[in-house]
Amino acid sequence: MGLTDIPIFSMLRTRLEWAQTRQRVLAENVANSDTPNFRPRDLAPPKLDGSSAGPTPVRLATTESGHIPGIGGAGETFRAERRGAYDLRPAGNAVNIEDEMMKVAANQMDYQAVTALYTRSLNLLKTAIGKVG
Amino acid sequence: MDFLKSMAIAATGLRAQAGRMRIISENIANADSTPSSPGADPYRRKIPTFQMEFDRAVGANVVELGKTVTDSSDFQLKYEPGHPAADKNGNVKYPNVNSLVEMTDMREAQRSYQANINVITATRRMLQRTIDILKA
Repeated sequence: MGLTDIPIFSMLRTRLEWAQTRQRVLAENVANSDTPNFRPRDLAPPKLDGSSAGPTPVRLATTESGHIPGIGGAGETFRAERRGAYDLRPAGNAVNIEDEMMKVAANQMDYQAVTALYTRSLNLLKTAIGKVG
Repeated sequence: MDFLKSMAIAATGLRAQAGRMRIISENIANADSTPSSPGADPYRRKIPTFQMEFDRAVGANVVELGKTVTDSSDFQLKYEPGHPAADKNGNVKYPNVNSLVEMTDMREAQRSYQANINVITATRRMLQRTIDILKA
């Protein structure tokens, strides 16, 4: 039995992956905060009910054992959505840098909370197998 | 590794803002560069542009500095008959650089740079948390 077969661990793992992907999307928003016609994006919240979190990624089929999987669309498991632009600047850019900073901080705190929970859950397992600390 | 990608994206933001800073400093340094011969054109203000680029290795939209365009607005004319670059009416063309505009642009570049640094710091801290799981 793998660690991810335990529901709590698989949930925490999904959440960590989600935070990781979200950080990438937010970094994209901040980097493009002065690019004309750029609209910021954010991730849809993850679903933890066992169904897949988003659309299954499209990838090239590997029909031979020697084939190398393509990199395009290899790991997009969460759906990035475009938000309504309420603060559109004349150049067509809708990034609100304060908003993005708040999200980066929130994402970081979120991640911290989940890693702490993960550590606690590991400790629970350790207690169960009789090795405390 | 998504965290390293986040940092790579923020790094492209840093690079773009640093390039913008370079062009702004060029403008400020040449704010008083008069023409070398009578009636010729002085330094023309440059404007940095940004463009979005899909980086296939990172798999995300990164930013990069686009083509530098020149400001086509009129030069400032000053009446200085004794100046070596004065035309026959005694007017000297000064660059179309407005220091106030450059200062404002510089501040904006600085803020955007800080925002990208902030993303890198936050990402590093998250990465550190992941490593801390091992220490538990």
